[in-house]
Amino acid sequence: MLRFEATQLILKHAGNRPIVANLGPTTDELWHAQHRDRNFYTYGNMGLCSSLALGMAVSTSEQVISLDGDGSLLMNLGTIATIGREQPKNLIVVVWDNEMWDQTGHQQSHTALGTDLEQVAKSCGITHTATVIDLEELETVFRTALEGDGPWFIVAKTEQSEYMPVSPIEPEMTLYRFRNSFSS
Amino acid sequence: MNWAEIIVQALKDWDTSLIAYVPDISIDQVTRLIDDDPFFHLVSATREEEAIGIAVGAYAVGRNAAVFMQSSGFGNTLNAVASLCIPYRTPIPMFINMRGGPGEFNIAQVAMGRTTKPILDLLGLVHFTFDDDHRMGEILDGALKLCHAGRQPVALCLTRMLHGGKVA
Repeated sequence: MLRFEATQLILKHAGNRPIVANLGPTTDELWHAQHRDRNFYTYGNMGLCSSLALGMAVSTSEQVISLDGDGSLLMNLGTIATIGREQPKNLIVVVWDNEMWDQTGHQQSHTALGTDLEQVAKSCGITHTATVIDLEELETVFRTALEGDGPWFIVAKTEQSEYMPVSPIEPEMTLYRFRNSFSS
Repeated sequence: MNWAEIIVQALKDWDTSLIAYVPDISIDQVTRLIDDDPFFHLVSATREEEAIGIAVGAYAVGRNAAVFMQSSGFGNTLNAVASLCIPYRTPIPMFINMRGGPGEFNIAQVAMGRTTKPILDLLGLVHFTFDDDHRMGEILDGALKLCHAGRQPVALCLTRMLHGGKVA
């Protein structure tokens, strides 16, 4: 599936739930799909997308969605163990897994050569997991995740695609807008 | 109050209830108090940069957060601090057990311990060092106020002179 179409699908069902986007194309595509106050765009903070979402999930009663990536998550596999330890019922991690470091020259990532992130999540005590290969499967699993308790860990296999223009967003404003949306 | 209780009180005074940390034998005196107190949610991270991510996530939804680590672990946080805390402007107090000073027994702790404060200076981050608990509550309260006013991390460096440290 194409990551942009999958991002649009997530947004279609996310309502006003907070979404944290991994750095680079995932952040850019989220902005192009639909800019909203509840989008937390990340930039250079490699590997920390789902750690940010975890910190949010243990601090709000709302469901929190992390749009992570295989390369980024491989930098911080420990956070899957921390999610398993904390068991936040309101956290949904979606990993866009294109099996490569696309931005740095399409080098194969470990998931192209045997690493199974869903199995990592399972072995860390996350019981609600899935690996999906098309939009229909993603929609079914994501809607199930929204309706029940998590934590959920969904690996979505994506294809290589052309980059969209870099989104015109500023970190300080991202934090300010996002945080203000929780102040009421 | 002893130094550990002073830190717990300052965190409460600033409504800082999410604490992310990587265990350390010296700051265990504080994190054990935190773990036993229902005011706090103590999250045990696997690595210090993960702790920074968790703390920033908490702050992003309106909950004040702090991190605890050792100076060696501060080395693990650098890109998280530089690419997340500073550009997003997040006031995260960083409590750092300083290794590598007087009484250090482990050569591997010396370089990171002794460069922690110069690195903080290069990042433009304010730091306070506590060698004893004299006026500690007052200074800590002021440091946390400054942290929130500047919306940047502030480092609270806790030395072996304060907490007794790890003895080989």
